[in-house]
Amino acid sequence: MQRPSPATVRRLILVLVLALWEVVPLTGVLPELFLPALSKTLTVLVQNWAEYAHALAVTLYEVALSMAIACGGGILVGALVGGLALLRNLLLPVFSSLYAVPIVILYPIFTAWFGIGSESKIAFAGIYGFFPVMLSTAAGIGTIDQNLLLAARSMGASVPQQIARVVIPASIPTVLSGLRLGGALAIIGVVVAEMLTSSDGIGYLVTRYRTVLDSPRVFAAILMILVLSVVFDLIARWAERRTLAWQTAGRRERGAQIRARSLAAAPATA
Amino acid sequence: MQYMADVKSPRPQSRAAAIEVTGLSHIYEGRDGQVPALQEVSLTVGAGRFVVIVGPSGCGKTSLLMMMAGLRHQSSGTILCAGKPITGPDPNRVGVVFQEASLFPWLTALDNIEFPLSIRHAPREERRRRADAMLNLVGLKGFGTRYPHELSGGMKQRVSIARGLVQDPPVLLMDEPFAALDEQTRMTMGHELLRIWDETAKTVVFVTHSLTEAVYLADEVLVMSARPGRIIDRIDIALARPRTYEMMATDVFGRLRERIWQQIRRRSD
Repeated sequence: MQRPSPATVRRLILVLVLALWEVVPLTGVLPELFLPALSKTLTVLVQNWAEYAHALAVTLYEVALSMAIACGGGILVGALVGGLALLRNLLLPVFSSLYAVPIVILYPIFTAWFGIGSESKIAFAGIYGFFPVMLSTAAGIGTIDQNLLLAARSMGASVPQQIARVVIPASIPTVLSGLRLGGALAIIGVVVAEMLTSSDGIGYLVTRYRTVLDSPRVFAAILMILVLSVVFDLIARWAERRTLAWQTAGRRERGAQIRARSLAAAPATA
Repeated sequence: MQYMADVKSPRPQSRAAAIEVTGLSHIYEGRDGQVPALQEVSLTVGAGRFVVIVGPSGCGKTSLLMMMAGLRHQSSGTILCAGKPITGPDPNRVGVVFQEASLFPWLTALDNIEFPLSIRHAPREERRRRADAMLNLVGLKGFGTRYPHELSGGMKQRVSIARGLVQDPPVLLMDEPFAALDEQTRMTMGHELLRIWDETAKTVVFVTHSLTEAVYLADEVLVMSARPGRIIDRIDIALARPRTYEMMATDVFGRLRERIWQQIRRRSD
Protein backbone atom coordinates (compact mmCIF):
# COMPACT_ATOMS: atom_id res chain seq x y z
CA MET A 1 0.00 0.00 0.00
CA GLN A 2 1.30 3.40 -0.93
CA ARG A 3 1.60 6.00 1.77
CA PRO A 4 -0.36 9.25 1.08
CA SER A 5 1.79 12.29 0.34
CA PRO A 6 2.18 14.96 3.06
CA ALA A 7 0.17 17.39 0.89
CA THR A 8 -2.76 14.96 0.79
CA VAL A 9 -2.59 14.47 4.55
CA ARG A 10 -2.56 18.23 5.10
CA ARG A 11 -5.67 18.63 2.94
CA LEU A 12 -7.41 15.81 4.79
CA ILE A 13 -6.66 17.43 8.15
CA LEU A 14 -8.10 20.73 6.91
CA VAL A 15 -11.27 19.00 5.69
CA LEU A 16 -11.53 17.17 9.02
CA VAL A 17 -11.25 20.41 11.04
CA LEU A 18 -13.90 22.10 8.89
CA ALA A 19 -16.16 19.05 9.22
CA LEU A 20 -15.76 19.03 13.01
CA TRP A 21 -16.49 22.77 13.08
CA GLU A 22 -19.78 21.97 11.38
CA VAL A 23 -20.72 18.76 13.19
CA VAL A 24 -19.67 19.35 16.82
CA PRO A 25 -21.96 22.38 17.44
CA LEU A 26 -24.89 20.55 15.77
CA THR A 27 -24.55 17.64 18.22
CA GLY A 28 -24.99 20.07 21.08
CA VAL A 29 -21.74 19.10 22.80
CA LEU A 30 -20.67 22.74 22.57
CA PRO A 31 -23.17 25.57 22.96
CA GLU A 32 -23.37 28.05 20.08
CA LEU A 33 -21.89 30.75 22.31
CA PHE A 34 -18.60 28.79 22.35
CA LEU A 35 -18.60 27.62 18.77
CA PRO A 36 -21.29 28.34 16.17
CA ALA A 37 -21.42 25.88 13.27
CA LEU A 38 -19.45 26.65 10.14
CA SER A 39 -22.63 26.91 8.05
CA LYS A 40 -24.15 29.38 10.48
CA THR A 41 -20.96 31.47 10.50
CA LEU A 42 -20.90 31.55 6.70
CA THR A 43 -24.57 32.46 6.51
CA VAL A 44 -24.05 35.39 8.88
CA LEU A 45 -21.04 36.47 6.84
CA VAL A 46 -23.04 36.47 3.59
CA GLN A 47 -26.09 38.16 5.10
CA ASN A 48 -23.99 40.97 6.52
CA TRP A 49 -21.58 41.12 3.63
CA ALA A 50 -21.75 44.92 3.24
CA GLU A 51 -20.63 45.47 6.84
CA TYR A 52 -17.84 42.88 6.64
CA ALA A 53 -16.62 44.01 3.23
CA HIS A 54 -16.34 47.58 4.48
CA ALA A 55 -14.43 46.42 7.58
CA LEU A 56 -12.15 44.31 5.40
CA ALA A 57 -11.41 47.28 3.14
CA VAL A 58 -10.45 49.40 6.16
CA THR A 59 -8.23 46.63 7.55
CA LEU A 60 -6.58 45.98 4.18
CA TYR A 61 -5.83 49.69 3.79
CA GLU A 62 -4.19 49.80 7.22
CA VAL A 63 -2.29 46.56 6.58
CA ALA A 64 -1.00 47.81 3.22
CA LEU A 65 0.34 51.06 4.65
CA SER A 66 1.85 49.47 7.76
CA MET A 67 3.54 46.81 5.58
CA ALA A 68 4.97 49.60 3.44
CA ILE A 69 6.39 51.26 6.56
CA ALA A 70 7.65 47.99 8.03
CA CYS A 71 9.26 46.78 4.80
CA GLY A 72 10.53 50.11 3.47
CA GLY A 73 11.83 51.33 6.81
CA GLY A 74 13.10 47.89 7.82
CA ILE A 75 15.09 47.41 4.64
CA LEU A 76 16.50 50.94 4.73
CA VAL A 77 17.54 50.92 8.40
CA GLY A 78 18.63 47.26 8.17
CA ALA A 79 20.85 48.02 5.19
CA LEU A 80 22.49 50.92 7.03
CA VAL A 81 22.93 48.99 10.27
CA GLY A 82 24.17 45.87 8.48
CA GLY A 83 26.43 47.74 6.08
CA LEU A 84 28.15 50.20 8.40
CA ALA A 85 30.24 48.65 11.17
CA LEU A 86 29.83 51.69 13.43
CA LEU A 87 26.02 51.58 13.32
CA ARG A 88 26.06 47.81 13.64
CA ASN A 89 28.07 47.86 16.86
CA LEU A 90 26.12 50.81 18.21
CA LEU A 91 22.53 49.94 17.32
CA LEU A 92 22.19 46.23 16.65
CA PRO A 93 22.30 45.16 20.33
CA VAL A 94 19.70 47.84 21.16
CA PHE A 95 17.38 46.76 18.35
CA SER A 96 17.79 43.09 19.20
CA SER A 97 16.73 43.76 22.80
CA LEU A 98 13.84 45.99 21.74
CA TYR A 99 12.58 43.13 19.61
CA ALA A 100 11.76 41.22 22.80
CA VAL A 101 9.69 44.09 24.25
CA PRO A 102 5.92 43.60 23.80
CA ILE A 103 5.41 46.69 21.69
CA VAL A 104 1.68 46.45 22.24
CA ILE A 105 2.18 48.31 25.54
CA LEU A 106 2.96 51.36 23.42
CA TYR A 107 -0.38 51.25 21.62
CA PRO A 108 -2.28 53.40 24.17
CA ILE A 109 0.34 56.10 23.62
CA PHE A 110 -0.15 55.79 19.87
CA THR A 111 -3.87 56.36 20.22
CA ALA A 112 -3.12 59.45 22.29
CA TRP A 113 -0.80 60.73 19.56
CA PHE A 114 -2.64 59.68 16.43
CA GLY A 115 -6.27 59.23 17.59
CA ILE A 116 -8.32 56.06 17.33
CA GLY A 117 -8.57 56.16 13.52
CA SER A 118 -6.43 54.33 10.99
CA GLU A 119 -3.29 56.36 11.69
CA SER A 120 -2.60 54.83 15.10
CA LYS A 121 -3.07 51.29 13.70
CA ILE A 122 -0.73 51.99 10.79
CA ALA A 123 1.93 53.48 13.07
CA PHE A 124 1.69 50.66 15.59
CA ALA A 125 1.62 47.78 13.08
CA GLY A 126 4.33 49.47 11.02
CA ILE A 127 6.68 49.48 14.00
CA TYR A 128 5.58 45.99 15.01
CA GLY A 129 6.53 44.59 11.59
CA PHE A 130 9.60 46.80 11.25
CA PHE A 131 11.85 44.86 13.62
CA PRO A 132 12.03 41.46 11.93
CA VAL A 133 12.51 43.09 8.52
CA MET A 134 15.22 45.36 9.84
CA LEU A 135 17.02 42.63 11.79
CA SER A 136 17.00 40.11 8.95
CA THR A 137 18.13 42.74 6.44
CA ALA A 138 21.00 43.68 8.75
CA ALA A 139 21.86 40.01 9.20
CA GLY A 140 21.64 39.36 5.46
CA ILE A 141 24.00 42.19 4.63
CA GLY A 142 26.30 41.60 7.58
CA THR A 143 26.85 37.95 6.76
CA ILE A 144 27.61 38.22 3.04
CA ASP A 145 30.35 35.86 1.89
CA GLN A 146 33.38 38.16 1.81
CA ASN A 147 34.94 35.95 -0.86
CA LEU A 148 32.25 37.07 -3.28
CA LEU A 149 33.12 40.71 -2.68
CA LEU A 150 36.81 39.94 -3.08
CA ALA A 151 36.09 38.17 -6.37
CA ALA A 152 34.01 41.13 -7.59
CA ARG A 153 36.82 43.51 -6.69
CA SER A 154 39.33 41.38 -8.56
CA MET A 155 37.11 41.78 -11.62
CA GLY A 156 37.28 45.52 -11.29
CA ALA A 157 33.83 46.18 -9.75
CA SER A 158 33.46 49.66 -8.26
CA VAL A 159 31.85 50.08 -4.83
CA PRO A 160 28.40 50.96 -6.27
CA GLN A 161 28.69 47.94 -8.57
CA GLN A 162 29.66 45.73 -5.63
CA ILE A 163 26.53 46.87 -3.80
CA ALA A 164 24.18 46.54 -6.77
CA ARG A 165 25.61 43.34 -8.23
CA VAL A 166 26.76 41.44 -5.15
CA VAL A 167 25.47 42.78 -1.82
CA ILE A 168 21.83 43.16 -2.88
CA PRO A 169 21.36 39.84 -4.68
CA ALA A 170 23.31 38.00 -1.96
CA SER A 171 21.10 39.35 0.82
CA ILE A 172 17.75 38.83 -0.94
CA PRO A 173 17.03 35.40 0.61
CA THR A 174 17.37 36.64 4.20
CA VAL A 175 15.55 39.88 3.44
CA LEU A 176 12.63 37.98 1.90
CA SER A 177 12.21 35.73 4.92
CA GLY A 178 12.23 38.87 7.07
CA LEU A 179 9.59 40.44 4.84
CA ARG A 180 7.36 37.41 5.23
CA LEU A 181 7.62 37.56 9.00
CA GLY A 182 7.30 41.36 9.09
CA GLY A 183 4.25 41.27 6.83
CA ALA A 184 2.57 38.68 9.04
CA LEU A 185 3.33 40.79 12.12
CA ALA A 186 1.89 43.88 10.42
CA ILE A 187 -1.39 42.00 9.93
CA ILE A 188 -1.36 40.90 13.57
CA GLY A 189 -0.53 44.44 14.66
CA VAL A 190 -3.42 45.98 12.75
CA VAL A 191 -5.96 43.42 13.99
CA VAL A 192 -4.80 43.63 17.62
CA ALA A 193 -4.87 47.42 17.50
CA GLU A 194 -8.38 47.36 16.03
CA MET A 195 -9.50 45.04 18.79
CA LEU A 196 -8.06 47.28 21.51
CA THR A 197 -9.26 50.73 20.57
CA SER A 198 -10.99 51.62 17.34
CA SER A 199 -14.22 52.31 15.53
CA ASP A 200 -13.68 50.31 12.36
CA GLY A 201 -12.01 47.29 10.77
CA ILE A 202 -12.33 43.54 11.24
CA GLY A 203 -10.69 43.55 14.66
CA TYR A 204 -13.26 46.09 15.78
CA LEU A 205 -16.07 43.77 14.64
CA VAL A 206 -14.61 40.93 16.70
CA THR A 207 -14.55 43.04 19.86
CA ARG A 208 -17.92 44.65 19.26
CA TYR A 209 -19.83 41.39 18.68
CA ARG A 210 -18.00 39.62 21.46
CA THR A 211 -19.25 42.19 24.00
CA VAL A 212 -22.81 41.50 22.90
CA LEU A 213 -22.17 37.74 22.89
CA ASP A 214 -23.06 37.39 19.19
CA SER A 215 -20.80 34.42 18.50
CA PRO A 216 -21.67 33.75 14.84
CA ARG A 217 -20.67 37.31 13.93
CA VAL A 218 -17.46 37.05 15.97
CA PHE A 219 -16.55 33.86 14.17
CA ALA A 220 -17.39 35.37 10.80
CA ALA A 221 -14.83 38.10 11.50
CA ILE A 222 -12.28 35.55 12.72
CA LEU A 223 -12.80 33.55 9.55
CA MET A 224 -12.02 36.64 7.45
CA ILE A 225 -8.83 37.30 9.36
CA LEU A 226 -7.79 33.66 8.89
CA VAL A 227 -8.36 33.92 5.15
CA LEU A 228 -6.48 37.23 5.02
CA SER A 229 -3.42 35.75 6.78
CA VAL A 230 -3.40 32.59 4.70
CA VAL A 231 -3.68 34.55 1.43
CA PHE A 232 -0.82 36.82 2.49
CA ASP A 233 1.34 33.81 3.33
CA LEU A 234 0.58 32.18 -0.02
CA ILE A 235 1.51 35.36 -1.89
CA ALA A 236 4.71 35.74 0.14
CA ARG A 237 5.73 32.13 -0.50
CA TRP A 238 4.99 32.46 -4.19
CA ALA A 239 7.10 35.63 -4.40
CA GLU A 240 9.94 33.89 -2.57
CA ARG A 241 9.82 30.91 -4.94
CA ARG A 242 9.84 33.20 -7.96
CA THR A 243 12.79 35.26 -6.76
CA LEU A 244 14.83 32.40 -5.44
CA ALA A 245 14.45 30.07 -8.38
CA TRP A 246 18.23 29.68 -8.38
CA GLN A 247 18.12 28.22 -4.88
CA THR A 248 15.47 25.61 -5.42
CA ALA A 249 15.93 24.71 -9.06
CA GLY A 250 18.61 22.17 -8.28
CA ARG A 251 16.69 20.34 -5.61
CA ARG A 252 14.12 19.44 -8.20
CA GLU A 253 16.71 17.79 -10.40
CA ARG A 254 19.07 15.89 -8.19
CA GLY A 255 19.53 13.35 -10.92
CA ALA A 256 20.95 15.92 -13.27
CA GLN A 257 23.38 16.98 -10.56
CA ILE A 258 24.69 13.47 -10.11
CA ARG A 259 25.12 13.10 -13.86
CA ALA A 260 26.98 16.41 -13.89
CA ARG A 261 29.32 15.20 -11.17
CA SER A 262 30.33 12.07 -13.00
CA LEU A 263 30.90 14.15 -16.11
CA ALA A 264 33.03 16.69 -14.27
CA ALA A 265 35.69 14.12 -13.58
CA ALA A 266 36.89 14.11 -17.16
CA PRO A 267 34.87 15.78 -19.89
CA ALA A 268 37.76 17.14 -21.92
CA THR A 269 40.79 15.07 -21.08
CA ALA A 270 40.07 12.39 -23.64
CA MET B 1 66.38 10.27 -16.22
CA GLN B 2 64.28 9.45 -19.23
CA TYR B 3 61.75 12.16 -18.39
CA MET B 4 64.30 14.94 -18.08
CA ALA B 5 63.77 17.52 -20.76
CA ASP B 6 66.84 17.57 -22.92
CA VAL B 7 64.86 19.31 -25.60
CA LYS B 8 63.51 22.69 -24.71
CA SER B 9 59.80 22.87 -23.96
CA PRO B 10 57.90 23.07 -27.28
CA ARG B 11 56.22 26.26 -26.07
CA PRO B 12 58.03 29.36 -27.22
CA GLN B 13 58.78 31.33 -24.09
CA SER B 14 59.88 34.90 -24.42
CA ARG B 15 62.48 36.35 -22.09
CA ALA B 16 60.24 39.28 -21.23
CA ALA B 17 59.01 39.44 -17.65
CA ALA B 18 55.26 39.25 -17.12
CA ILE B 19 55.60 40.08 -13.44
CA GLU B 20 58.47 41.66 -11.56
CA VAL B 21 58.32 41.91 -7.79
CA THR B 22 61.06 43.97 -6.18
CA GLY B 23 61.83 44.33 -2.47
CA LEU B 24 58.27 43.59 -1.41
CA SER B 25 57.70 43.80 2.34
CA HIS B 26 54.55 43.77 4.33
CA ILE B 27 53.95 44.48 7.99
CA TYR B 28 50.54 44.23 9.57
CA GLU B 29 49.27 45.35 12.93
CA GLY B 30 48.81 42.25 15.07
CA ARG B 31 47.58 41.98 18.62
CA ASP B 32 51.14 42.14 19.99
CA GLY B 33 52.30 44.95 17.78
CA GLN B 34 53.73 44.83 14.30
CA VAL B 35 54.05 41.49 12.57
CA PRO B 36 56.31 41.21 9.55
CA ALA B 37 54.38 39.08 7.04
CA LEU B 38 56.60 39.42 4.00
CA GLN B 39 60.22 40.44 3.98
CA GLU B 40 62.10 41.67 0.94
CA VAL B 41 60.46 39.38 -1.57
CA SER B 42 61.80 39.73 -5.08
CA LEU B 43 60.90 37.52 -8.00
CA THR B 44 60.51 37.59 -11.74
CA VAL B 45 57.97 35.60 -13.67
CA GLY B 46 58.81 35.25 -17.34
CA ALA B 47 56.00 35.66 -19.86
CA GLY B 48 54.25 32.37 -20.56
CA ARG B 49 55.81 30.61 -17.56
CA PHE B 50 54.01 28.46 -15.05
CA VAL B 51 55.37 29.42 -11.64
CA VAL B 52 54.23 27.71 -8.45
CA ILE B 53 54.72 29.19 -4.98
CA VAL B 54 54.83 26.72 -2.08
CA GLY B 55 55.45 27.20 1.61
CA PRO B 56 54.11 26.38 5.06
CA SER B 57 50.78 27.77 6.27
CA GLY B 58 50.97 31.40 7.19
CA CYS B 59 54.09 32.11 5.16
CA GLY B 60 52.30 34.89 3.33
CA LYS B 61 52.04 33.21 -0.06
CA THR B 62 48.38 34.14 -0.39
CA SER B 63 49.17 37.70 0.71
CA LEU B 64 51.83 37.87 -1.96
CA LEU B 65 49.36 36.69 -4.58
CA MET B 66 46.68 39.14 -3.42
CA MET B 67 49.19 41.97 -3.73
CA MET B 68 50.03 40.88 -7.27
CA ALA B 69 46.29 40.98 -7.96
CA GLY B 70 46.08 44.51 -6.58
CA LEU B 71 43.64 43.35 -3.91
CA ARG B 72 45.91 44.15 -0.97
CA HIS B 73 48.50 46.85 -0.47
CA GLN B 74 52.09 46.17 0.48
CA SER B 75 54.02 48.21 3.04
CA SER B 76 56.92 48.72 0.65
CA GLY B 77 58.34 47.44 -2.60
CA THR B 78 56.98 47.41 -6.13
CA ILE B 79 55.08 44.99 -8.35
CA LEU B 80 55.30 45.49 -12.09
CA CYS B 81 53.01 43.72 -14.50
CA ALA B 82 53.93 44.09 -18.17
CA GLY B 83 56.27 46.87 -17.07
CA LYS B 84 53.62 48.94 -15.32
CA PRO B 85 53.05 49.03 -11.55
CA ILE B 86 50.05 47.29 -10.01
CA THR B 87 48.07 49.78 -7.92
CA GLY B 88 44.68 48.07 -7.81
CA PRO B 89 42.66 45.30 -9.42
CA ASP B 90 43.05 45.35 -13.19
CA PRO B 91 41.22 42.42 -14.84
CA ASN B 92 42.67 43.37 -18.22
CA ARG B 93 46.14 42.56 -16.98
CA VAL B 94 45.54 40.01 -14.22
CA GLY B 95 42.83 37.38 -13.77
CA VAL B 96 42.34 35.77 -10.35
CA VAL B 97 41.05 32.33 -9.35
CA PHE B 98 40.35 31.82 -5.65
CA GLN B 99 40.40 28.76 -3.41
CA GLU B 100 36.65 28.86 -2.98
CA ALA B 101 35.35 29.09 -6.52
CA SER B 102 33.55 32.27 -5.33
CA LEU B 103 30.87 32.01 -7.98
CA PHE B 104 27.75 34.12 -7.56
CA PRO B 105 25.08 31.55 -6.62
CA TRP B 106 22.24 33.57 -8.18
CA LEU B 107 23.87 33.57 -11.62
CA THR B 108 24.14 30.70 -14.08
CA ALA B 109 27.59 29.43 -15.09
CA LEU B 110 27.48 31.51 -18.25
CA ASP B 111 26.33 34.66 -16.43
CA ASN B 112 29.11 34.16 -13.90
CA ILE B 113 31.66 34.04 -16.69
CA GLU B 114 30.11 37.15 -18.25
CA PHE B 115 30.18 39.05 -14.97
CA PRO B 116 33.55 40.81 -15.49
CA LEU B 117 32.43 41.86 -18.98
CA SER B 118 29.04 43.13 -17.88
CA ILE B 119 30.73 45.24 -15.20
CA ARG B 120 32.54 47.02 -18.01
CA HIS B 121 29.32 47.31 -20.01
CA ALA B 122 30.58 45.21 -22.90
CA PRO B 123 27.93 44.71 -25.62
CA ARG B 124 25.64 41.75 -24.96
CA GLU B 125 26.61 39.85 -28.10
CA GLU B 126 30.30 40.14 -27.43
CA ARG B 127 29.76 39.04 -23.83
CA ARG B 128 27.86 35.95 -24.87
CA ARG B 129 30.35 35.07 -27.59
CA ARG B 130 33.39 35.34 -25.32
CA ALA B 131 31.72 33.58 -22.40
CA ASP B 132 30.69 30.73 -24.71
CA ALA B 133 34.24 30.42 -25.98
CA MET B 134 35.53 30.28 -22.39
CA LEU B 135 32.95 27.67 -21.44
CA ASN B 136 34.18 25.49 -24.30
CA LEU B 137 37.79 26.10 -23.36
CA VAL B 138 37.27 24.77 -19.84
CA GLY B 139 35.32 21.76 -21.13
CA LEU B 140 31.87 22.73 -19.85
CA LYS B 141 30.02 23.02 -23.13
CA GLY B 142 26.32 22.50 -22.46
CA PHE B 143 26.54 23.44 -18.77
CA GLY B 144 26.10 27.19 -19.27
CA THR B 145 22.57 27.33 -17.87
CA ARG B 146 23.45 25.50 -14.65
CA TYR B 147 23.54 27.34 -11.36
CA PRO B 148 26.67 26.90 -9.19
CA HIS B 149 24.94 24.59 -6.71
CA GLU B 150 24.08 22.31 -9.61
CA LEU B 151 27.79 21.92 -10.42
CA SER B 152 30.40 19.72 -8.76
CA GLY B 153 33.44 21.22 -7.05
CA GLY B 154 35.66 20.60 -10.05
CA MET B 155 33.13 22.13 -12.44
CA LYS B 156 32.83 25.20 -10.24
CA GLN B 157 36.57 25.73 -10.45
CA ARG B 158 36.38 25.31 -14.22
CA VAL B 159 33.80 28.11 -14.32
CA SER B 160 36.01 30.17 -12.04
CA ILE B 161 38.98 29.70 -14.37
CA ALA B 162 36.80 30.66 -17.34
CA ARG B 163 35.74 33.80 -15.49
CA GLY B 164 39.36 34.66 -14.72
CA LEU B 165 40.29 34.33 -18.38
CA VAL B 166 37.27 35.96 -20.02
CA GLN B 167 38.91 39.39 -20.32
CA ASP B 168 41.95 37.73 -21.85
CA PRO B 169 44.51 38.98 -19.31
CA PRO B 170 48.09 37.87 -19.97
CA VAL B 171 48.48 36.74 -16.35
CA LEU B 172 46.38 34.31 -14.31
CA LEU B 173 46.88 34.22 -10.53
CA MET B 174 45.58 31.14 -8.74
CA ASP B 175 45.28 30.87 -4.96
CA GLU B 176 45.13 27.16 -4.02
CA PRO B 177 42.33 26.67 -6.54
CA PHE B 178 42.10 22.89 -6.11
CA ALA B 179 42.69 22.65 -2.37
CA ALA B 180 39.03 21.93 -1.60
CA LEU B 181 38.71 19.17 -4.20
CA ASP B 182 39.10 15.46 -3.67
CA GLU B 183 42.36 13.85 -4.76
CA GLN B 184 41.15 12.43 -8.08
CA THR B 185 39.36 15.58 -9.18
CA ARG B 186 42.42 17.53 -8.14
CA MET B 187 44.67 15.48 -10.41
CA THR B 188 42.27 15.81 -13.32
CA MET B 189 41.95 19.53 -12.78
CA GLY B 190 45.73 19.96 -12.68
CA HIS B 191 45.98 18.18 -15.99
CA GLU B 192 43.16 20.28 -17.41
CA LEU B 193 44.79 23.47 -16.22
CA LEU B 194 47.98 22.56 -18.08
CA ARG B 195 45.94 21.98 -21.24
CA ILE B 196 44.22 25.38 -20.86
CA TRP B 197 47.55 27.05 -20.11
CA ASP B 198 49.00 25.47 -23.23
CA GLU B 199 46.08 26.56 -25.41
CA THR B 200 45.94 30.12 -24.14
CA ALA B 201 49.69 30.79 -23.60
CA LYS B 202 49.04 32.62 -20.32
CA THR B 203 51.50 33.33 -17.57
CA VAL B 204 50.35 31.48 -14.44
CA VAL B 205 51.32 32.09 -10.84
CA PHE B 206 49.89 29.29 -8.73
CA VAL B 207 49.93 29.00 -4.93
CA THR B 208 49.56 25.56 -3.35
CA HIS B 209 50.25 23.44 -0.28
CA SER B 210 50.70 20.30 -2.32
CA LEU B 211 54.27 19.50 -3.32
CA THR B 212 53.15 16.87 -5.84
CA GLU B 213 50.88 19.40 -7.48
CA ALA B 214 53.71 21.94 -7.50
CA VAL B 215 56.18 19.64 -9.25
CA TYR B 216 53.57 18.30 -11.64
CA LEU B 217 52.42 21.73 -12.83
CA ALA B 218 55.40 24.04 -12.62
CA ASP B 219 58.16 25.28 -14.85
CA GLU B 220 59.61 26.73 -11.72
CA VAL B 221 58.84 26.35 -8.01
CA LEU B 222 59.45 29.14 -5.51
CA VAL B 223 59.75 27.98 -1.90
CA MET B 224 58.77 30.40 0.85
CA SER B 225 59.67 30.27 4.54
CA ALA B 226 57.31 30.92 7.42
CA ARG B 227 57.02 34.29 9.09
CA PRO B 228 58.40 36.55 7.94
CA GLY B 229 57.72 35.20 4.47
CA ARG B 230 60.78 35.14 2.27
CA ILE B 231 61.69 33.23 -0.86
CA ILE B 232 64.32 30.72 0.20
CA ASP B 233 64.69 28.59 -2.90
CA ARG B 234 63.93 28.60 -6.59
CA ILE B 235 63.79 25.23 -8.30
CA ASP B 236 63.54 24.64 -12.04
CA ILE B 237 61.32 21.72 -12.88
CA ALA B 238 63.03 20.27 -15.92
CA LEU B 239 60.38 17.69 -16.68
CA ALA B 240 59.28 17.41 -20.29
CA ARG B 241 55.95 18.72 -21.44
CA PRO B 242 53.24 17.69 -21.88
CA ARG B 243 53.30 16.29 -18.36
CA THR B 244 51.80 12.88 -17.79
CA TYR B 245 50.54 11.13 -14.68
CA GLU B 246 53.24 8.46 -15.14
CA MET B 247 55.92 11.08 -14.47
CA MET B 248 54.83 11.22 -10.84
CA ALA B 249 56.25 7.73 -10.32
CA THR B 250 59.71 8.58 -11.65
CA ASP B 251 62.87 9.17 -9.65
CA VAL B 252 63.31 12.65 -11.05
CA PHE B 253 59.86 13.65 -9.85
CA GLY B 254 60.52 12.16 -6.43
CA ARG B 255 63.85 13.94 -6.08
CA LEU B 256 62.40 17.31 -7.02
CA ARG B 257 59.59 16.79 -4.56
CA GLU B 258 62.08 15.75 -1.86
CA ARG B 259 64.24 18.81 -2.43
CA ILE B 260 61.27 21.15 -1.93
CA TRP B 261 60.22 19.23 1.17
CA GLN B 262 63.74 19.49 2.65
CA GLN B 263 63.73 23.23 2.13
CA ILE B 264 60.38 23.67 3.84
CA ARG B 265 61.25 21.32 6.71
CA ARG B 266 64.69 22.77 7.36
CA ARG B 267 63.20 26.21 7.89
CA SER B 268 60.33 25.20 10.05
CA ASP B 269 62.38 23.12 12.51
